[in-house]
Amino acid sequence: MAMGDIAFNLLIFFVILARANDDSHLQWTPSRVENLQTAGHSVISVLIDKDSKLYLNGQQVGISELSNLIEDLIPENPSEDERTVLLKVHQETLAQRFEPVIEAVSEAGGKLVHIVEEEKN
Amino acid sequence: MRGRRTRVLVEPPSHATGDIAFNLIVFFLVCASIQPDSGRPQTLPSAETVEENQQQDNIEVAMKRTAVLLNGEALPESQWSQLPKRLKSLLSGRSKPEDRIVVVKSDKDTPYHHWIHITSVIEDAGGVVTLQLEEEREVQVP
Repeated sequence: MAMGDIAFNLLIFFVILARANDDSHLQWTPSRVENLQTAGHSVISVLIDKDSKLYLNGQQVGISELSNLIEDLIPENPSEDERTVLLKVHQETLAQRFEPVIEAVSEAGGKLVHIVEEEKN
Repeated sequence: MRGRRTRVLVEPPSHATGDIAFNLIVFFLVCASIQPDSGRPQTLPSAETVEENQQQDNIEVAMKRTAVLLNGEALPESQWSQLPKRLKSLLSGRSKPEDRIVVVKSDKDTPYHHWIHITSVIEDAGGVVTLQLEEEREVQVP
């Protein structure tokens, strides 16, 4: 019985630890678009939340450092998946905020995938 | 002769509850982690490609907060359904990717849902989206 409890507590510990690099706790509403594809899995996720704050893999960052930070996360001779940057932008974010982010991802050599929801007709 | 009664509902042993909970958590964690996101990939051409191509007549889409200008002609939100058809006719006959560049300029107050909708329409029509960003310049006033 004690073994089960130890394993359970270890699992909770690692789940909480993993959430430090996770952006699921951030608040944003995705836009709705037609003709979507599966985004696949990526280790790089950039998010602009409803307060227009910018996050890289769940950590708040500034726009000026974004390009370099993404470059550091992309390994040398990357595969398509390793270059993929998931971009999650709150639907009401304005162009003056999200366009420099797109530019920074592009500069860093990332393959941009906009995370959105399927619009059903 | 009395037939044997089979018990359909059997309670799991109470000492196994922890193990069952553990396995259920692992199961749901695995399910959640393999759930892929859906999205739209976007390839933006490098600035050099666009500069080389600037002599040619690129299609230009300007986005305002509630309207879109296609080569300078305003399309209010009510006419956006015409946009795919008009873009396809403008892009017809342009086979090379560098000829299919559509320069997208956005006002500062263009919301993302509006921007992603229009750029998706451009890509679905066969255009290659290129962003034209305003350069920030520092002007020193004497």
